[in-house]
Amino acid sequence: MNKVGIVSYGSYIPKYRISVEEIAHIWGEDATELKNQLQVPKKSVLGLDEDVVTMAVESARNAVNLWDGDPKLIGAIYVGSESHPYAVKPTATIVSEALPTGKEIMAADLEFACKAGTAGMQMCFGLVKSDMINYGLAIGSDDSQAKPSDPLEYTAAAGSAAILIGREGIIAELEGTYSVTSDTPDFWRREGATYPSHGQRFTGKPAYFQHSIDATKGMMNQLQTNPSDYDYVVFHQPNTKFPLSVAKMLGFTKEQVELSLVCRHIGNTYSASSMLGLNRILEKASSGERILMTSYGSGAGSDSFSFMVTDKIEELQAYPFDIEYYIKRTIDINYGLYTRYKGLLK
Amino acid sequence: MEPPKIWREKRQRYLALGISCKKCGKRSFPLSEYCPYCGTNDVEEYRLAETGKILYFTNVSMASNEMAFNAPYCLGIIELNDGIKVTGQIIDCDYKDLKNGMEVKMVFRILARDGHEGLIKYGFKFTSI
Amino acid sequence: MRMNGKNVFVIGTGLTKFGEFYDRDSTSLATEALNAAINDAKIDRSSIKSAYFGFMISNSSPHSAFSSKCLRECNVSIPFTRVEAGNASGAAAFHQAYISLASGIHDCVAVIGSEKLSDFVKNGTIEKILGSTIDYQWEYEIGATLTSLYAMITKAHMREFHTTMEQLASVPVKNHKNGKENPHAQFRREIPLDRFLSAKRISDPIGRFDLATHCDGSSALILVSEDYLERNNGIKNKIPILSSEHSSDVLTLHHRESLTEFKSTVTAAKKAFTKVGIEPTDIAVAEVHDSFPISEILAIEDLGFFEKGEGGKATEAGLTQLNSKISVNPSGGLKARGDPFGATGIAQIVEIVEQLRGRADKRQVSEVEYGLTHNIMGTGALAYVNIFGQEEMEQ
Ligand SMILES: [Zn+2]
Repeated sequence: MNKVGIVSYGSYIPKYRISVEEIAHIWGEDATELKNQLQVPKKSVLGLDEDVVTMAVESARNAVNLWDGDPKLIGAIYVGSESHPYAVKPTATIVSEALPTGKEIMAADLEFACKAGTAGMQMCFGLVKSDMINYGLAIGSDDSQAKPSDPLEYTAAAGSAAILIGREGIIAELEGTYSVTSDTPDFWRREGATYPSHGQRFTGKPAYFQHSIDATKGMMNQLQTNPSDYDYVVFHQPNTKFPLSVAKMLGFTKEQVELSLVCRHIGNTYSASSMLGLNRILEKASSGERILMTSYGSGAGSDSFSFMVTDKIEELQAYPFDIEYYIKRTIDINYGLYTRYKGLLK
Repeated sequence: MEPPKIWREKRQRYLALGISCKKCGKRSFPLSEYCPYCGTNDVEEYRLAETGKILYFTNVSMASNEMAFNAPYCLGIIELNDGIKVTGQIIDCDYKDLKNGMEVKMVFRILARDGHEGLIKYGFKFTSI
Repeated sequence: MRMNGKNVFVIGTGLTKFGEFYDRDSTSLATEALNAAINDAKIDRSSIKSAYFGFMISNSSPHSAFSSKCLRECNVSIPFTRVEAGNASGAAAFHQAYISLASGIHDCVAVIGSEKLSDFVKNGTIEKILGSTIDYQWEYEIGATLTSLYAMITKAHMREFHTTMEQLASVPVKNHKNGKENPHAQFRREIPLDRFLSAKRISDPIGRFDLATHCDGSSALILVSEDYLERNNGIKNKIPILSSEHSSDVLTLHHRESLTEFKSTVTAAKKAFTKVGIEPTDIAVAEVHDSFPISEILAIEDLGFFEKGEGGKATEAGLTQLNSKISVNPSGGLKARGDPFGATGIAQIVEIVEQLRGRADKRQVSEVEYGLTHNIMGTGALAYVNIFGQEEMEQ
């Protein structure tokens, strides 16, 4: 069988941050309690001249620059997001021109709440494995929306992750992928609605936890692996507590999940969330280490992946614009500025 | 913001393209069919260096309609590492922190939005490294 | 020296008050100015063979309608041409009219400059209009405004020549002092230095009150060639145009080697002085393009009145005040008179002609032999320099 895997990766996180204290102060909530609960002290906020497209381009360019290959070899681009700036006019077309790839490329925007980016990864794996393309680029990029005063407001953040998939120069080989899908109304946004709605506690047990557990167990069962076979595990990160809890339920240790928790620094980046977690691991992992990743998208479904890190990884780890770089460069803003940046002032 | 113009200029704005002259060897910005130094049309597309330094800078608080969403913003003349100079916004920074000679990197951003229903114009800007 | 064609003279001037006239349109203003110029020239209006209109944007009506309406109301049925060179459209129209006379094609023409900028009340509209005087694609659409480019020019001058904020502010202080005596000026009051220094910076180091205001106004001239004068005896108060020069520089600031010298001004001035055979020190009075404080400082340096880098010090020392070393902008300049783009270049000429005729009243410069006007587009991509002399002067 043809080998297929990740050949490069790129991340982007905007510079602005708002703290839980700032938001809690507006709504008269207890910041300390919220921080204990969510374990997200601040979240990233998009600049006034940024959107899902600009973030997708930045992360894609980082992936291509790190790879140092010819972007014209890329045969497919899929951008997963729930906040594409155009309802009709694909983000993927703009990313393609901005890299630039060639014109002979498959492209589409995907939507599956927070797992549209990993759905794109699966499409790319399939296309490469079936020899339809040489390289495929999957991007998760989101300017997460949350209704003011909604609990989501404390975590809904912005960021983008790009994963370049191919069969040559693999840094993390795909061992298997497994998905589960069910019609679960835990979180939704109707066409034309500005903010998503959700089922409060219902988003937890039957939604996030059940799907993450089912997909991860299914994948391990398929590969005959156990949690102890993995060096790192990544889950979707709506807050920091959920991935820690689901890891524990599945028998993973805190140490296995800790490195992936980008959420702890920037909040929930929706489609980019689990992919940024994966990128953080790729930045640090060594040859022979194994990574398990399970995304979650409301509505609902989970995609689980198992990767084996190869000896090529070292060549793709010294890059100035890594997640650490983006986590460290920050400008704190207050709620007043936040309302302007989020377009809340009409 | 008319679609044909946005479409015609997109590659130049996204990729910061100039030309490299095959006859006199000079590079120039923006993209042109003829070399402004020697007049030949034996030129090829050239993508400008992505990093450079600030030569001159100021801030803009009274901006045009389409760019007011972003104001106040910083603006400068940047000398790229290949010697080519361009004008660009310097974003994600406080005006008082800018200095002449500061190193900057090209990034992809929104230049203008045509209201809530029109097109979005993307292009290059700069940010401190 | 006849290689430059026929001698050309200004024989009539007309000027409206500059300011905000919400109840009047371009036609109304232009008609007032042209009628005034015709009356001043004391000629039969049927003598005028052609009209040159200089304006950057007309108000709500298209240009042909505006020009045509103006001529109809002035009862002249002649061909007309619109000349556009951004905010130097007035000087550009004058230059084209001059060429038509010097070449012998016409012997009497009218030049009209007009602009109606108070119609554009929405934020950002004037910035967009002025965007077409700079590199629209790679400056304006990138986020630059004319003001921001001048801010960088100002900083460059401050860096290279240690020009101070006080020196810069002494330009509008002086121009407002002059404008106080000009009945056509939009602002007729002095503004203290501190007011400029303490204002909010709109593009650092340019403050809110440093810009010339974009207003309404019209100006007009009647020009004739020597042929006309030969056939019509008794034309009085004719002021010879000793030279009318036009030069350019690359449009985009980032393509220039220096931000502290406008090559177009330097070149146009050199050509003009060479043609007349005089030195910058021979100029007693000049109307220069002071759209920003740094504009006037660059102008008085690039025109050769002061050494490069000395413009700020000279202005602060009072050397450009009325009846000092050289009287710069006795009208109040763009700053105090107001800047209706197309009308400005011609209003500058009106001022110099009135100075040479000795009719400038309280702002009259004594012993004027030569006067100069200087009008530029944007950041100096185009510059127009004209030198005028006394009536009896041989050309
Ligand atoms: Zn060449």
